Amino acid sequence: MSDRRGRRVRDGLALSHALPDRSLVAMVAAMSLLAALTWAGAFGAWSLSARWAHGAANLVTIQVPDPDRPASLPSDDATAQVPVKENQTDHQRSRIDAVMDVLRAQSALSEIHRLDARELDQILRPWLGTSGVAALPLPGVIELHLAPGASLTDGLSSRLAGLAPGTLVERNDDWRSRLQMVARSLLACAALAIVLVGGIGVAVIGMATRLGLGARRESIAILHGLGAADGYVASRFGRRVAWLSLAGGIAGTLLAVPPIAIVVRFMAPLSGPQAVTMPEQGYSTILPEAFAAFTDGSVPGDLMIGLACVPLCAMLTALLTAQVIVRVWLRRLP
Amino acid sequence: MLVRVREYPSFHQTGFARVVMIRLHNVTWRHAGQMRGRRGETLSALTSISFTVPQGEFRWLLGPSGAGKSSLLRLLHLETLPASGEFELLGVDIRPAVGRSVLARLRQRIGMVHQDFRLMPTLSVADNVALPLRLQRRHETDVSTEVDAILNWVDLAARKGARPAELSGGEQQRTAIARAVVARPDLVLADEPTNALEESQASRVIAMLREISAMGTTVIVATHNDALVRRFPAQALRLEHGRLVSNE
Repeated sequence: MSDRRGRRVRDGLALSHALPDRSLVAMVAAMSLLAALTWAGAFGAWSLSARWAHGAANLVTIQVPDPDRPASLPSDDATAQVPVKENQTDHQRSRIDAVMDVLRAQSALSEIHRLDARELDQILRPWLGTSGVAALPLPGVIELHLAPGASLTDGLSSRLAGLAPGTLVERNDDWRSRLQMVARSLLACAALAIVLVGGIGVAVIGMATRLGLGARRESIAILHGLGAADGYVASRFGRRVAWLSLAGGIAGTLLAVPPIAIVVRFMAPLSGPQAVTMPEQGYSTILPEAFAAFTDGSVPGDLMIGLACVPLCAMLTALLTAQVIVRVWLRRLP
Repeated sequence: MLVRVREYPSFHQTGFARVVMIRLHNVTWRHAGQMRGRRGETLSALTSISFTVPQGEFRWLLGPSGAGKSSLLRLLHLETLPASGEFELLGVDIRPAVGRSVLARLRQRIGMVHQDFRLMPTLSVADNVALPLRLQRRHETDVSTEVDAILNWVDLAARKGARPAELSGGEQQRTAIARAVVARPDLVLADEPTNALEESQASRVIAMLREISAMGTTVIVATHNDALVRRFPAQALRLEHGRLVSNE
């Protein structure tokens, strides 16, 4: 029992010698490392899938073959809806311009963007290289962003095909449900992994506590005879194991920070608007660059809160586990 | 402080009606298997034990080895509970349904002196003696005062920083007595407290226990040292084969 000045407890239990301190800290650190990585992985997968699903659902891609050829004569119905610029006649209008004019008249769109030659070149370069792009007849590509909750009119595809035969409208709605399914699966796997890690942690803490109880069997019996309540002995073990687990939890979480920082830095172009390139100096600068993610706001707040909770969860788990095991063990005493 | 209390009139001189501290009526205790004590001795069964002990009494607990003395002391120290019969201790009706916290609080009101001392080897004499007070969450200033007083009483003030392994048998026994009485318990139980001691040391220990009894604490001392019983005459509970054969 500690006195009010917080001096060392002098009740003969000497738990610093009774419990396997170092191995307990190491094991809890390993469990916390796994838990932190699992949490970060799950969080990242969920964030990416949510972002991609959100983007996919609102994104429509339109490919217009031979974009510079004159547009076909539109039907009467289409003519009524296609605004024609004053200085432009039908036979002068290119297919891509005609399609763009139709799209601009759509109220459901929040953004219309035609990819220029440089953007197309960037997209295709990984597959075709620098020489192949120029040699191919490329379609005109238009990205449409739907306004929230809006959808394209049913006859749009046929109207665009009337202006530019072969025009392809790609809706990405299907990807949304697939990505959500993937995200749910990843989260379920992560939850299972965290439960397993927690279970192993409980088992490790339980074994350490039982070792300590075995080592201090005589002292506990003496304290019990002097009138020590179960709660006193349980709290002594609980506090000691909790502090050791907190230390292990902090160590494990800190060990998880570098890999998480690197992954966050790598994923930044995929998960956020800012484009982060890898350092040109080589991999020796990856770590400082990665750690900068924690200061420049690249790491989401929720992820950091989750990481901070890992040592606290380890401590609480240890406290509860040790309390329960000690109280059950004390039942053998009257 | 205990030292000052000694100057007051003894409990028996005050004339107050004495409360019953221990009451057993037809108490039977036996273990399903062969139960052994901490020292490995076989604990005998107890059969139809009935007696009462009022506050401030000193009682010898006599009987040959295996008569059930240790079993009875374990029962009185709440290390086990009776199988049947009525058992009232310090005003509490002891039944299996009594909560563990209640039993723990009762144990804090009982001082137990074991034949093998049961001191904490890693603690100093002072810290060993302070244990019951610290378990009662007493302030460290009070703890220090009480411990110093009781160590003066048992003449161990000069050895307060020593570890049990550095003490003689008599010093260890006096430390155990100091620990048993430092929290002013209502009941002190002593199991063969003089077994490992020389005659003079044994007399000194019993004199201390008599002194505690005179201050109002009920004391029960198990022994098979007849010379000591003759030197300190008092009412005796005599057990044979687990039965109480006399109480006079």
